[in-house]
Amino acid sequence: MNGIGTAAVAAQVTLVVVGAPLLTGVMRKVRARLEGRAGAAVTQPWRDLRKLLRKEAITPVGTGPAFRAAPPLLVATTAVVAALVPLVSTATPVGRRADLILVVALLGLGTVAVALAGLDTGTAFGGMGASRQMTVAALVEPTILLAVFALSMPAGSTNLSAIVSGGLHDPVRLVSPAGLLATAALAVAVLAETGRLPVDNPATHLELTMVHEATALEFAGPDLALVELGTQMRLTVLLGLLASLAAPWGIATTTTPLALALALAVLTAKVALLGTALAAAEVFWAKLRLFRVPELLAGSFLLAVLAVTASYFLTGA
Amino acid sequence: MNDGVFTELLDLACGAFLLAAVAVLWLRQLTSIVRAFALQGVALAAVAALLGLREGRGELLAVAAGIGLLRAGALPHLMRRALAAGAPGGDGRYQEDVSEARETRPLVNVAASLLSAALLTFLAYAVARPLVALDPTPVTRALPVALAVVLIGFFTLVTRRRALAQIVGFLLLDNGITATAFLAASGVPPIVELGVSFDVLLAVLVLGILTTRMRAAFGGTGIDDLRELRDR
Amino acid sequence: MNPAGTAVALAAGLAAAGAAAGALLPGRARVPAVGLCTAGLGTAGLVAGAAALDGARWSARLPGLLPPAGVHLAVDALSGLFMAVAGAVVLAVAVYGIGYAAGRGPHGVASRGVQAALPVFALTLVLVPAAASVSTFLLLWETMALTSLVLVLAEQRGRASVREAGVWYAVMTQLGFVLLLAGLALFAAGAGGETFTALRAGAPALSPAARGTVFVLMAAAFASKAGMVPLHPWLPRAHPEAPSNVSALMSAAMVNLGAYGIVRVAFDLLGGGPRWGWLLVLGTGALSAVHGILQAAMASDLKRLLAHSTSENLGLVLVGVGAAGLFASAGHPLPAALALAAAFLHVVNHAVFKALLFCAAGSVARATGLRDLDRMGGLRARMPATAGFFAVAALGAVALPPGNGFISEWLLLQSLIEGLTVPGLSTAVVLPLAVAVIALSAGLSAAVFVKALGVGFFARPRSERAAAATESPPGMLAGMGLLGLGCTGLALVPGMLGDGLSRAVAVAGFGGGPPLAGDGLELRLEHLAASLSPLWAAGALTAGLLAALALVRVTARRGRRSHVKLWDCGGGAPTARMSYTATSFAEPLQRVFDDVLAPEQDVDVTPVRASTYLVERVRFRRRVPDRIEHRLYRPLIAAVDRLGEAARGLAPGSAHRYLGYGFCGLVALLLTLAVSR
Repeated sequence: MNGIGTAAVAAQVTLVVVGAPLLTGVMRKVRARLEGRAGAAVTQPWRDLRKLLRKEAITPVGTGPAFRAAPPLLVATTAVVAALVPLVSTATPVGRRADLILVVALLGLGTVAVALAGLDTGTAFGGMGASRQMTVAALVEPTILLAVFALSMPAGSTNLSAIVSGGLHDPVRLVSPAGLLATAALAVAVLAETGRLPVDNPATHLELTMVHEATALEFAGPDLALVELGTQMRLTVLLGLLASLAAPWGIATTTTPLALALALAVLTAKVALLGTALAAAEVFWAKLRLFRVPELLAGSFLLAVLAVTASYFLTGA
Repeated sequence: MNDGVFTELLDLACGAFLLAAVAVLWLRQLTSIVRAFALQGVALAAVAALLGLREGRGELLAVAAGIGLLRAGALPHLMRRALAAGAPGGDGRYQEDVSEARETRPLVNVAASLLSAALLTFLAYAVARPLVALDPTPVTRALPVALAVVLIGFFTLVTRRRALAQIVGFLLLDNGITATAFLAASGVPPIVELGVSFDVLLAVLVLGILTTRMRAAFGGTGIDDLRELRDR
Repeated sequence: MNPAGTAVALAAGLAAAGAAAGALLPGRARVPAVGLCTAGLGTAGLVAGAAALDGARWSARLPGLLPPAGVHLAVDALSGLFMAVAGAVVLAVAVYGIGYAAGRGPHGVASRGVQAALPVFALTLVLVPAAASVSTFLLLWETMALTSLVLVLAEQRGRASVREAGVWYAVMTQLGFVLLLAGLALFAAGAGGETFTALRAGAPALSPAARGTVFVLMAAAFASKAGMVPLHPWLPRAHPEAPSNVSALMSAAMVNLGAYGIVRVAFDLLGGGPRWGWLLVLGTGALSAVHGILQAAMASDLKRLLAHSTSENLGLVLVGVGAAGLFASAGHPLPAALALAAAFLHVVNHAVFKALLFCAAGSVARATGLRDLDRMGGLRARMPATAGFFAVAALGAVALPPGNGFISEWLLLQSLIEGLTVPGLSTAVVLPLAVAVIALSAGLSAAVFVKALGVGFFARPRSERAAAATESPPGMLAGMGLLGLGCTGLALVPGMLGDGLSRAVAVAGFGGGPPLAGDGLELRLEHLAASLSPLWAAGALTAGLLAALALVRVTARRGRRSHVKLWDCGGGAPTARMSYTATSFAEPLQRVFDDVLAPEQDVDVTPVRASTYLVERVRFRRRVPDRIEHRLYRPLIAAVDRLGEAARGLAPGSAHRYLGYGFCGLVALLLTLAVSR
């Protein structure tokens, strides 16, 4: 049991690390196709990473430990989250520790690390990015935790394995208004946390409109590679988390190798599908003005509140 | 239709009903607001139809059809026409009249409106609890949704500037009341429902005319302009 | 003799010795002597508290000390918790204080008066939780207020802001004392005795109206000590203006006693308060949390920012206490115990990280003379140890793993989720809102401390003073090191506190089992199937970090990092004036909360004389005033002022008239007595 459980965790982490750049590649390809371009190959992000990793490491004069620690920390937090979230199997040795609040906080740690690195450079753009990123992060927090609250109400626990296996056994929970609303609120929060449209434009080249990118402007070579990888892994993990919460079908609850292999395939398909849908949607969305973002987040907060109240009054608690 | 499926569908319809009201607060483009209102009409009709199917009452199905026609079809159509009448002419010249199609600056900003809606939902829940406790069935449990829509409609009426947004607020209020009637007492007699519906239709027509007159008199539909009519 | 008793006696002796040393010893020897005595006192307090948390109980009655009632002291696990926290903070801050005050002039923090008051203040911090009768409690409480006032005013020479802070603090704290006196007197009269034992026994006999009144008076008095809205305006004034070691003591140990008071009186003595009362406590806590953290987000004065954050953290503690009361009054002991345990753990965590934050801020102030974040920067290279300690403490304050604050906030959220089992309208509406408030304050506190650390310590210096900063002396670093160890220990193995917390919670008398199960390394909540193992999380993070570094090491062609000029999008290395300041960092948040904060800003544009289109100078000024203070206190102060003006007519300067007032007063009093008897 333990051997296969450990294998499941290792598989999750490996899949996220290896698959994250590919997911980005797929999303870019979809976008290019929809815009009538041929687009680069799906493996292009991996080639970029390889190129960056081989370059010389650079420390800008005047930056300190925070600047150097941020890239590996971003990757580390995301990797730990990838190990914790039941993407492939609910019966893993770390399943007991897979607390949803801990997952949210770990992602927050990555955000804070990158923001501090942005401030550490002492450039105007770095400070601007850090300030905006922390503003968005601060406003996303209530939405996320309230959605967590709503999701953990039927399961009676914030343990992710419990929530996911609860959803597997009782699928009605997932399509109830509470479940749907919480998922919708979480989806908006995921867009904000990963810096996608309409909150932030990951492909922008205009510094004044940047949020996340502005904090990463000074990174180069291997540092930049880690930041890119970390950001891509974040998107992958959060899409995977969303898929696990909203559509847990296919996740292994037993520890047979076959179930595990099937779960890996299903996970890949689900995340690829979500990524494609997101990429397609992004073609039609415009980036919101920074000061309209609170409106969006207030809306998703309202959805989370409605999820909580709905699970109160519709289930008659 | 078994119990579980019925409850599930009813809950979903009620959820959509509430979400449409939230969308009215969230959106700025008046055409989108009207669309959200139309969706709410569909959700309301679905609630009525579900109740009719469940209890095997034909007249409820008829009422549902009527509601669908009126609230998802006729009223939105009328409002769209009023909007189109106010849109800048298609003579190709640039006209600075964009604000008419949008609720640009509501009295309470959008983010605060959404947070208020959250609080109003809690209030509705608090108020409806004793009512639900009288007879806790899946149907009555959804009662707070209807009350929340009433409150949100009222809130829209209070805080929005454009006449059309106000009409939608009024109609939200009415939708909420109708839903309350369905959920609390499986609907009022069809004749009463018919009367109310005609009232609503009439009100919208009158308001539509009023809007046109306002536009003629003030060049806009900002409700605050009405202050000028007061005798000093 | 009981270890707790010995330790308490030792603490009192050391305080007396310290006070004597402060008052009598000359210049050079004064500060170290007082510091050592205070540190010893803190250690004694820590030992007494730890013994009590371990299950020891001790009580004493000293009839000769304060006739006629005598002094009653008693130590149980609840007092033990707060004594241990106060003792630990006192110990570390006293060590820090030796270096901090050494070499200062004869006025200010090293002066006779201040040094004599310091050990007495420290003693009251340790002993207030041990008071076991109304008169003892009030005596210690008032001594604490007076000595802290002396300490706040330490640097009043030449700084009007200190005097203003002193006035605010004195007025608010005395108002709080009046409320406390009234509440306790009412309680004691109703219960028919003034020892806590008598109060406990007499509490059930109180009428609901009397209970409600006592509860409200007490809650208001203690909330004002904890810096809760709307009784908070003293806090952001007094904490920044006091010397930093005093700020650390006040912010980390004194405000806790507000929470202690509510728990002791409402749960232990009164045996539970009314439901609406708990809703009030919870609401006040939530409001203070959001208000405090929003003000902190706007602040660019480092110590003011920390003071506001104290208000936020105590707000979270009161959310926990209020939730515990709410659950207990609904008859659900388990979530109640969990919420109270979370509140206690947050008290402990907050005390340690906030003491460290204030000490680090004091180091910066000592090295640069600056409190304004906008003019700091670049300190990480000049004061690496201080910056490191600030970072450790800030990690605790932002409620992110692997910081210690995260653990208590996690526990608080878990208790609210557990509280879902409590039926009833108030919980259904209140719990989600409480979760939202905790989340918002956690999110904003991340922004606040990223600002404090990133703007204050990172990047390059923005002023000459910051550029000339040097690291603090080893004494101060040692004090901060103790607190840093505390932060790390609490962050990694909070389970060690588990049993002590359970015992302290048991004093509240909810019944039910211990709220926490843990084996030192892990916190487990059995009925929620939730567990948190901070050590595991930290280990996993380290492993991930090493893996990421290994990836770079393996693939990199050249191992050495090369140092180059900042790119800045081709702009070349920018000057320090171009970097983001605390004010600019907070700007987006200020815009988002524009309607709530109502900032005042004005822009002065001075054109060149020849043309209005050519601008010579633009001046931009923005203030974010405390709105509650503006709306509530301004009119109040104005009214009091008017009253004072009106009363001037009563004082024409005639001595006969003044004597006449006294005579009339006496006669009226006697008349009333004669009539009413």
